[in-house]
Amino acid sequence: MNYLQAFAISASGMAVEKARVDLTAVNIANAQSTRSADGAGVRPMRLVSGAKGGPDFAGLLGSFPGLPASVAAGSAASLQGAEIVSVAALATPPRLVYEPGHPDADEKGFVAYPGINPLAEMVNLLTAVRAYEANVAALSAAKTMALRTLNMGG
Amino acid sequence: MIDKMEGLGAAMVKVALDAAALRHQAIAQNIANLHSPGYVPLGVSFEASLAAVQRGQAPAAPELVAQLDKAPGPRPQDADMEMVALAQNTIHYQALIKGIGTQLAILGVVANGGGK
Amino acid sequence: MVTEPVSFIPALREPGLDPLAGAQGAQGAGDFGAWLSQALGKVNQDLARADQGLQSLATGEAQNLHQVMISLEEARLGVQLLVQVRNRLLDSYQEILRMQV
Repeated sequence: MNYLQAFAISASGMAVEKARVDLTAVNIANAQSTRSADGAGVRPMRLVSGAKGGPDFAGLLGSFPGLPASVAAGSAASLQGAEIVSVAALATPPRLVYEPGHPDADEKGFVAYPGINPLAEMVNLLTAVRAYEANVAALSAAKTMALRTLNMGG
Repeated sequence: MIDKMEGLGAAMVKVALDAAALRHQAIAQNIANLHSPGYVPLGVSFEASLAAVQRGQAPAAPELVAQLDKAPGPRPQDADMEMVALAQNTIHYQALIKGIGTQLAILGVVANGGGK
Repeated sequence: MVTEPVSFIPALREPGLDPLAGAQGAQGAGDFGAWLSQALGKVNQDLARADQGLQSLATGEAQNLHQVMISLEEARLGVQLLVQVRNRLLDSYQEILRMQV
C-alpha cells in the first residue's frame, strides 16, 4: 500500500465535489435561461460520480439474502477514490409562464423556463461543499499523520 | 536483534499501526465516494492479526472489509460521521506512533549507554 | 605474645569523626545496595507496565491515553536514571583502580 495513495484518494474526491459545485453553479446561473445551445431547452444537470477502482459489491449484495456484518473487500491497492462517471440532464418538465410579449413565447404565449428548482440546487450545493470540506479534512489528516511519523524516534 | 528486545507491546503496536494506516485509506475512500451511487462503505478488521501476534506468530496483514450494516449508495448525510471516524483514527495513529517512539527511545538509552 | 589492652587508657578514637561514622559507613553501603536493587526492580516494573500500556493501546482497550503516555515516560526516565547511576559507578570504580597505593 503506497503511503501516498491516501493523498490521491482525497484529491480525487475533491476534484469530483468541485466539479459538482461548478455544475450546480451552472444550473443556478441558467435558472432563467429560455434558450439552450442545442435547442432542446435548458434542463437541470446532475453530476454522476462513482468509485474509481475499488471492490465491486453490486453483484455481491444482489446474490446473497442474509449477509454478515462485514465481508472481506480485497486489497488496499485497489482504492483509488472517486471519479466523474457522467454529466446527465434531468428530464424535469419546463416551467411554463404566461408572457405573451416574450421573444421566446410559443403560440399560446407561454414561455418555457427550465425546471430548475433553486432550493434543490442550494441543497445540492451545500452537500457538495460539505463533502468537499470532508475530503480536505481527510487530506490534512493524512499529511499530519505522515509528518508526525517522520518525527518518530529520539 | 533490536526487534527481539522490543517486547510484545511494540509488536502489537506495529500491527495496530498497519491497521490504522489502512483504516485511513478506507475512510478517505468513503469520504471521496459520499455521492457515489451503489457504493458500499469500507472498514478495516485486524483482530485476527492482533490475536496472532499475541500467540507469538507472524501476523497477517489487516484487511479491508465492507461495512454492510450501512446502507450503500449516495450518503451525503454521513459526511460528519466519516469525519468523526477520521479524527478518531488520526489521533489513535499518532498515539501509537508516540508510544512506539518512546519504546524505541528506551532501547536507545540502553544501547547508547546514556551518552547522546 | 598476647598483649592485653591497658584498661586505664581509654580507647583511641579517630579524630574529627563521628563515633557512629564507622557503623554508618557499613550501613551506608548496605543502604545503597538495597536502594540499587530496589531501583532495578522498580524500573523493571515500570517497563512491564509500559509494555502493558502499549498492548492496551494497540488493542484499543486503553482506558485513557495519558496513563499510557505517562507510564512510557516514567519507564524511559527510570532507565535513563539507572544508566546514569551505572555510568557514575563505573567511573568511580575506574578512578579507584587508578589510585596509587
